[in-house]
Amino acid sequence: MTVKPVPEGVTEALLGVVGRKGWIDDKGEMEPHLIEARGFWRGTCTAVIRPASTEETARVIEICAKAGVPVTPQGGNTGLQGGAVPDGGVILSMGRMSRIRDVDPLNHTMTVEAGCVLAAIQDAADEAGCLFPLSLAAEGSCQIGGNLSTNAGGVQVLRYGNTRDLVLGLEVVLPDGRVWERLRGLRKDNTGYDLKHLFIGAEGTLGVITAAVLKLYPQQPSRETAMAAVSGAEEALTLFSRMCDACGDALTAFELIPRLGMEFAVKHMTGVVDPFADAHSFYTLIELTGPEGGTGLREALETILAQALDDGIAEDAVIAASEAQRGELWRVREVLSDCQKFEGGSIKHDVSVPVSRVAEFVRRAGALVEAALPGVRILAFGHVGDGNIHYNLSQPVGADTDAFVARWDEFNHIVHDLTAEMDGSFSAEHGIGTLKRDELVRYKSAVELDLMRTLKRTLDPMNIMNPGKVL
Amino acid sequence: MPNAVPQSVLDAILGVVGRKGWIDDEGGMEPHLVERRGLWRGTCAAVVRPASTEETARVIKICAGAGVPITPQGGNTGGMGGGVPDGGIVLSMGRMSRIRDVDPLNHTMTVEAGCVLATIQEAAAEAGCLFSLSLAAADGSCQIGGNLSTNAGGIQVLRYGNARDLVLGLEVVLPDGRVWEGLRGLRKDNTGYDLKHLFIGAEGTLGVITAAVLKLYPAIHAREAALVALPDPEAVLDVFIRVRAACGEALTAFEMISRMPFDFALKHVERTRDPFDAPHPFYALIELTSPRPGGALRDSLEATLARALDDGVAKDAVIATSEAQAEELWTIREDINEAQIPEGGSIKHDVSVPVSRVPEFLHRATKILEGAVQGGRVVAFGHVGDGNIHFNLTQPEGADTDAFLAETDRVVHGVHDLIAEMDGSFSAEHGIGLHKRDLLERYKSEVEMDLMRTLKRTLDPKSIMNPGKVL
Repeated sequence: MTVKPVPEGVTEALLGVVGRKGWIDDKGEMEPHLIEARGFWRGTCTAVIRPASTEETARVIEICAKAGVPVTPQGGNTGLQGGAVPDGGVILSMGRMSRIRDVDPLNHTMTVEAGCVLAAIQDAADEAGCLFPLSLAAEGSCQIGGNLSTNAGGVQVLRYGNTRDLVLGLEVVLPDGRVWERLRGLRKDNTGYDLKHLFIGAEGTLGVITAAVLKLYPQQPSRETAMAAVSGAEEALTLFSRMCDACGDALTAFELIPRLGMEFAVKHMTGVVDPFADAHSFYTLIELTGPEGGTGLREALETILAQALDDGIAEDAVIAASEAQRGELWRVREVLSDCQKFEGGSIKHDVSVPVSRVAEFVRRAGALVEAALPGVRILAFGHVGDGNIHYNLSQPVGADTDAFVARWDEFNHIVHDLTAEMDGSFSAEHGIGTLKRDELVRYKSAVELDLMRTLKRTLDPMNIMNPGKVL
Repeated sequence: MPNAVPQSVLDAILGVVGRKGWIDDEGGMEPHLVERRGLWRGTCAAVVRPASTEETARVIKICAGAGVPITPQGGNTGGMGGGVPDGGIVLSMGRMSRIRDVDPLNHTMTVEAGCVLATIQEAAAEAGCLFSLSLAAADGSCQIGGNLSTNAGGIQVLRYGNARDLVLGLEVVLPDGRVWEGLRGLRKDNTGYDLKHLFIGAEGTLGVITAAVLKLYPAIHAREAALVALPDPEAVLDVFIRVRAACGEALTAFEMISRMPFDFALKHVERTRDPFDAPHPFYALIELTSPRPGGALRDSLEATLARALDDGVAKDAVIATSEAQAEELWTIREDINEAQIPEGGSIKHDVSVPVSRVPEFLHRATKILEGAVQGGRVVAFGHVGDGNIHFNLTQPEGADTDAFLAETDRVVHGVHDLIAEMDGSFSAEHGIGLHKRDLLERYKSEVEMDLMRTLKRTLDPKSIMNPGKVL
């Protein structure tokens, strides 16, 4: 791969805009910006530019557009698809734009700059007596600009939607350096095309998000958490349906954990306890939340679980009696990604299907991967309430790790072909980046690819915005 | 003067849809040529009624080849002239009225564009679910394709969002006749640009929506309605904040009615009565709903209102004790538009501001209107919970209607200039159509106008899709 160097005159002009404070070209300091979180990719760039304002961002992009210099926008660089790995040109690192411009608790909105760390936004909302519900594992280091650009999901999508659903207004620097400013905190605004959705989830390929108006919610001080053991994915779905119909919006999370996940977690991670005496095929982690006073959450949860136990849908169940117990139940779910590495090589998928077809998917995918490699260990867990399954495979016990991981593409195709047949998605929350570009071409229709390419060509004719990502 | 459509083109289109899908006699075409209030009248060569997506695609391909304008039409209930043709053909979607699929477990429904909204609501109810879009008056005649193309709002936006928020997937015939099929019922799908949002709210200018996957919610099993009497706009907002905090997402509607429209409704609408002994400057109509049966809603509503009365924020309050009483309260709100008619001419605005600024808007806008027309009667009502106010001025009693309406532009600009200053929207739910094109130019930034025009030019280079609307 040959990368064109950035002309000297251009680097000087860029440095002139952001100054020394906004400029990194030292190798050691650039390093964390060049690699993907897990070290799968390493890129190169001439400099990491850290603008302090929308205006500086706009001037930087205008210079790059004129000179044809590629720009790779970067937030906390926590993404897993290689979407922020540069291929020459400059990195635009948004961390200095970290101001919370406004909090309006009455309007339930907050105006933030792209470089705000997600946890800082959650804290500021909390201080204002509100809730910003986006929550994911990387929240201590990921930035809202990256969350918006990848339309991040997380653990509360069931109730509050994806990041896209939490945005009312955006400010974007376009690929020619112009600023589109629509930072309005309105619930209703039917004045022409809704442009913000073009940029949300576009992974920085159509422009750089510099600020956003976010939606807040009432705090949910009442909370009930339970784990119910079930004999199969079918039963898990039935239980989900009952919970959903009875509790509506109060149902904040409904997560599925297979037996293998419980075993791995208990075996390898400290602080994980199996709450049940017997082994069960699947576990569901259920959380209800509500405003002060609870309005009967506990009773609803108890009633539904008691009925499920009575008619055999659930085999056993525990309701957390304390915050500590709640933490223990969640810990099982939270360690699932990490605990797999102690069991040798793994091949991962982030797929979704209609919620009604989750059990069918688990059954059919299981048969296919088992046929391809007898003894493969299936760790299918995830957000059943969203139809989103992290369908991960661990190598058979005692198998050769390299030989197993070498079959990555083969297993991806097995799982993703089935997903396509079932009208599902081969990337439910993680996006495309560099990793899944080939899958995009394989599974999207010609018309859809053409529409996406047309939009890209129209908005970024010089192809300077995060080139080589998504498309 | 629109160009005539060549006979050969008409013959080709007739060949696609057949006699059943063809109207060209004057009487048959009439209802498709006029806007419902009669403000606009258009012309066209024929009304084409395709029976399938394939027929729609073939019709559009023929029109694209011949440069014939297409005006898509649903139930033709819009108030902005967006469905009024200017030559070419009307594409009326009413024959595509099949509900393709209902999946109660996935909480989705796949419907064709010509389905009447009320039919969709009923099919959802039969499946034990709720389709939450409701516009009250037009439910029985508007079609979902029109609802999506105008991103309709309605009376439950506070809890469920606008039409846009109720869509998971779309099928669209593009301006060149190709079909983009994105009919996925997925809660999570991060595979490239989210194209559906381009077409939702585009008023048929970027393509024709032929089908959609809609989001359903759990059916409602408890409902409470209350009417609260309030001294001023600040008290309206205060009570809204209290109820929102206490009831969370159970709060389905929070509607404000000022004294003037309240009086109009009492005077002109049958089956309305004032539930209070004394008149009050403002009223709030509150609705809470829940999928859980039982008295929890009632308790929290009573407690919240009792506190508001104790604190002197609210002056009086009634909680409906039966469905019939709830209906009575709602009748006042729903029939305000009708009740305005006997009072003479009205100049109307459909605006939104941040919820926190509703009182400020009401004070400032009232001053502007009172200054603009001596004796003009300010009719303010609407969805305060969404920041959406229908802010109308009815002519002075006994004044000359034409002379009053001659002041329209002056009044409209006064209100909308204020809206722009307050970061609001000059069309919260009704869209642009023909009616508000000038306002779009007046209030949108150059960058935003350019982006919209660029998208239009790129997707519809021949400008055949609903030309003259929006842009």
